[in-house]
Amino acid sequence: MTKTIVRFSKKQRVEHLFVMLLFTLLALTGFPQKFYEAGWAAAIVNAIGGLERVRFLHRIAGILFSVATVAHIVGITVLALMRRAGMTMVPTRRDFSDAIQQISWYLGLAKEPAKFDRYDYRQKFEYWGMLIGSLVMVVTGLILYFPLLFTRLFPGEMIPVAQVAHSNEGLMAFLVVITWHIYNAHLSPDVFPFDTCIFTGKITVDRMHHEHPLELARMTGDAAEAASGHGAEPGGTPPPAEAGNA
Amino acid sequence: MTRRFCAPLLAALLLSGFPLLAADAAKDEVDTCLSCHGEKGIEKKLPSGEVKSLFVDRAAFEKSVHGAKLGCTGCHPGYQEMPHPDRPAKDLAAFTSSFRETCKSCHFANYTKALDGVHFAALSKGNTSAPFCADCHGAHDITKPNEPRTRISDTCSSCHSAEAEAYSSSVHGKTLAATNSPDVPVCTDCHKSHAIADPKGQTWRMKSPETCGSCHADEARMKKYGLSSNVYTSYLTDFHGRSASLVAGQKKQAEKIVAVCVDCHGVHDIARVKDAGSKVLQSNLQATCAKCHPGAPPNFPAAWLSHYAPSPKKAPLVWATALFYKILIPLMIGGLVLQVLLHLWRVVVNR
Repeated sequence: MTKTIVRFSKKQRVEHLFVMLLFTLLALTGFPQKFYEAGWAAAIVNAIGGLERVRFLHRIAGILFSVATVAHIVGITVLALMRRAGMTMVPTRRDFSDAIQQISWYLGLAKEPAKFDRYDYRQKFEYWGMLIGSLVMVVTGLILYFPLLFTRLFPGEMIPVAQVAHSNEGLMAFLVVITWHIYNAHLSPDVFPFDTCIFTGKITVDRMHHEHPLELARMTGDAAEAASGHGAEPGGTPPPAEAGNA
Repeated sequence: MTRRFCAPLLAALLLSGFPLLAADAAKDEVDTCLSCHGEKGIEKKLPSGEVKSLFVDRAAFEKSVHGAKLGCTGCHPGYQEMPHPDRPAKDLAAFTSSFRETCKSCHFANYTKALDGVHFAALSKGNTSAPFCADCHGAHDITKPNEPRTRISDTCSSCHSAEAEAYSSSVHGKTLAATNSPDVPVCTDCHKSHAIADPKGQTWRMKSPETCGSCHADEARMKKYGLSSNVYTSYLTDFHGRSASLVAGQKKQAEKIVAVCVDCHGVHDIARVKDAGSKVLQSNLQATCAKCHPGAPPNFPAAWLSHYAPSPKKAPLVWATALFYKILIPLMIGGLVLQVLLHLWRVVVNR
């Protein structure tokens, strides 16, 4: 049997599943409103049972998504303040040099690929992109949900601003997911056809060695390997809670 | 063989005096009938007690569109005999309706359109005061209904007086009265003349952007009056227009009201945008929005860009936000796809 280790906690797995389902529902009920002239938009609206129900579902999913986003931010903030979370998702200078080395390797300019710790620069980019994007969606979504309340304090022009931002940010998130995320989780030759890690929480030691050698070294107490990493946490145990997942 | 021979003969006959002969025959018939029906006192008492005048004004008939073409029996077949066969009609409404089919034999297209109309629907539900052919067009004195165009709203106003009054003080009504221009809509331009849809239904409401757009999206026509023809597309791309498009395409009836042109601008009382009474004048907008958005604060109307496309001058923030994403999205997706391709290339090379 292949040796595996636990990479994601139960909370992280549930969080991913929750966001995944809400994201799908939000896209399904949001895009017909953006591409209102398309034939498939009318088909989706009819399949769901009318525009009113589409909007109702979009708002329910939006509220749940907002709660999840806020809970996530509060959670990581509390853990960071209590110093119980490893700062594994925080971008560092090393991420930039990793990116340069990795791309150089792709192009054949470097002999070795970059060696990554718990999260590589691409995963960090996606995580922060997702977090910032979620905040934009939550804020603009709430503005569009409660325009009367919002315009008591703010100028009316902010409503169409929010509408344009919500619509485009949503499109960008969707495009990132169907190109980048689907590639990395399904189509990439490294994981094809399905990277189950975020659902089972488990990853093989083999893959860890390949994709997160520095983290693996810390875990197994390989000091020499770990020293070549960054933000090394002596002790070799995985952090009790993670700042996020990618 | 016969057909080949007949066709030129028929053409020659038609080109020569045949129509004139027919017209002469009709004139003779009219003279005969009017020897009685040209007398003013001729009338018939109906079983309901109503009295139907059977007088035909010769001058009016001769001036009518049918005057030079039709004789009496064209519309009143079976009255050649004397005395006329008895046609039972218990009241005036039944008397009029007994002639409905008459128009059909020549004006089949308009007759069938009228069968789809709201007036016929009312008639068939038993509303005897609902109009059919002769109630709007007249009988012996039929002239072109749109000469002058103001006549059309006069015709409708005989029943729909409140609407006609609102119309006559509207921007459309006033401009029509002043210019008699064919650009200005009269009742039938929006409502149609024969297949008049039920204006109380959702279908009609949701069609109003299309109805208004048929003139207001016409650049050449709008230019004459210094109006923007962009109003239709700018409505459609905004929140209300998008909702309207989606609701129009759905099978289920809309539960909530989606704002269409008439909800903000008014219907028959529609005013010039800059007039003091205009519902969409800046100072009146808050109240207009509040019809659907109760409690709309003073800032709220600015959420609607007044049919302007965002530009550095109008709604610069909206314009800038759209531009930001126009640049960001291709950069982001392009960059990520490039990395995917680089990765794949490396995998292939390393094999």
